[in-house]
Amino acid sequence: MPKGLREIRNRIKSVRSTAQITRAMQLVASSKMKRAQDAAQASRVYAELLGEILDTAISKVGEFSHPLLTKRNVTTRGIILVTADKGLCGPLNGNLIRQAAEIKNASFVCLGRKGSQAIARSGRNLLADFPVSDRVNFNEVRPAAEFLLKAFSEGTVDTVEILYAHFKNTLIQVPRLQQLLPADSLVTQAKELRAKLGLPEPKIEKDEREMIFEPSVEVILNQLPELFFKQAVHQAILEAKASEHSARMVAMKAATDNAKKLAGALSLEYNKARQAAITQEILEITAAASQG
Amino acid sequence: MSLTLEIVTPDRRAYTGEADSVTLPTALGSIGILKGHLPLTSIIEAGEVVVVLNGKTSRLAVDKGFVRVVSDKVSVVTEAAIDETKIDLKAIEQAEERARQAVEAARGQKEIDPVEIAKIEQILRFAAVQRMVKGRSSSGLTE
Repeated sequence: MPKGLREIRNRIKSVRSTAQITRAMQLVASSKMKRAQDAAQASRVYAELLGEILDTAISKVGEFSHPLLTKRNVTTRGIILVTADKGLCGPLNGNLIRQAAEIKNASFVCLGRKGSQAIARSGRNLLADFPVSDRVNFNEVRPAAEFLLKAFSEGTVDTVEILYAHFKNTLIQVPRLQQLLPADSLVTQAKELRAKLGLPEPKIEKDEREMIFEPSVEVILNQLPELFFKQAVHQAILEAKASEHSARMVAMKAATDNAKKLAGALSLEYNKARQAAITQEILEITAAASQG
Repeated sequence: MSLTLEIVTPDRRAYTGEADSVTLPTALGSIGILKGHLPLTSIIEAGEVVVVLNGKTSRLAVDKGFVRVVSDKVSVVTEAAIDETKIDLKAIEQAEERARQAVEAARGQKEIDPVEIAKIEQILRFAAVQRMVKGRSSSGLTE
């Protein structure tokens, strides 16, 4: 067999096995994507109800000042960068990291290995990084959220913003920077969250009677914003996971399709070359026979 | 049917349904909610929620959270909640064991992450509440 033929055959083999791998990765990603999307959906109920409770409380209390809600001069921005742990998910991580690089005067807290690697490599100020598994538990997010609350209240950072891949649909994920702290007003924050989730305005049941707060208004309004913040972080991470798996699925599907196309083109080339070799051989034999 | 109760955790909607009365473990002690209760916002401590519907009692273990009562609608947001019938004592034991191991591991270290402590606290607290709720219902059966 001529040398060219063997080379082509080896390439076909390697392209086919690559296609097999990317196909498997696509299937894994799509099942994870389903779960991540469901989880993001489920936690929306919690966000919705928490927002409602907050709204009701505020509508019954009036204005209230709280350290997490008070604006101050910004010298250092605190950015939570949510990326994937692994690559092979198209431009998802690259887009996030590029946007993070444009932010000036910032300290970073990273969730996901890709982000912390990029921040560390570029010599930016990395305050901490936290691991997040595929199944994002509320408990897993709490350390990161509490770390940031502490940094914010101690003045290490003057804002808390979260940069993550917003899940639009399976094909489209866009980096989104969302300010979490200071939340200038709880009501607007609740509104933003609802707008983000595409939820309707809650209808607070008409109840003109005075509301009882136990143990006291202060205690409740000291705790609610904190919980609301943690919930916002959790929700963003859930969405980031849904985005990650969707992006990976799409990227792997494209890779599989490309590999199949390439294998097809190579097979055609291989067959042509094989036919050419056979024709050549027959010509040689007939030429030799007619001479003799 | 007089009250609507919903209990929601970050992972799922743990309970939705109607109730004649609901007993909640608030920060100031256990309170019972009946139809026509005044609007209320309160903090919930880890403990037991008792739901009575048509003379039948069901119990749930809940972790810390908030409750709001408005026009006969009781909404509870909590970090964890589980129905008494679904409480698995073995799983609790395992969780407690893991927490204890984490405590052991942390003992040697000089600096202990306060977040880690809070996490362990939460596991142990919720485990204790689940045991309490489970224990109460089983002793109720033997009576």
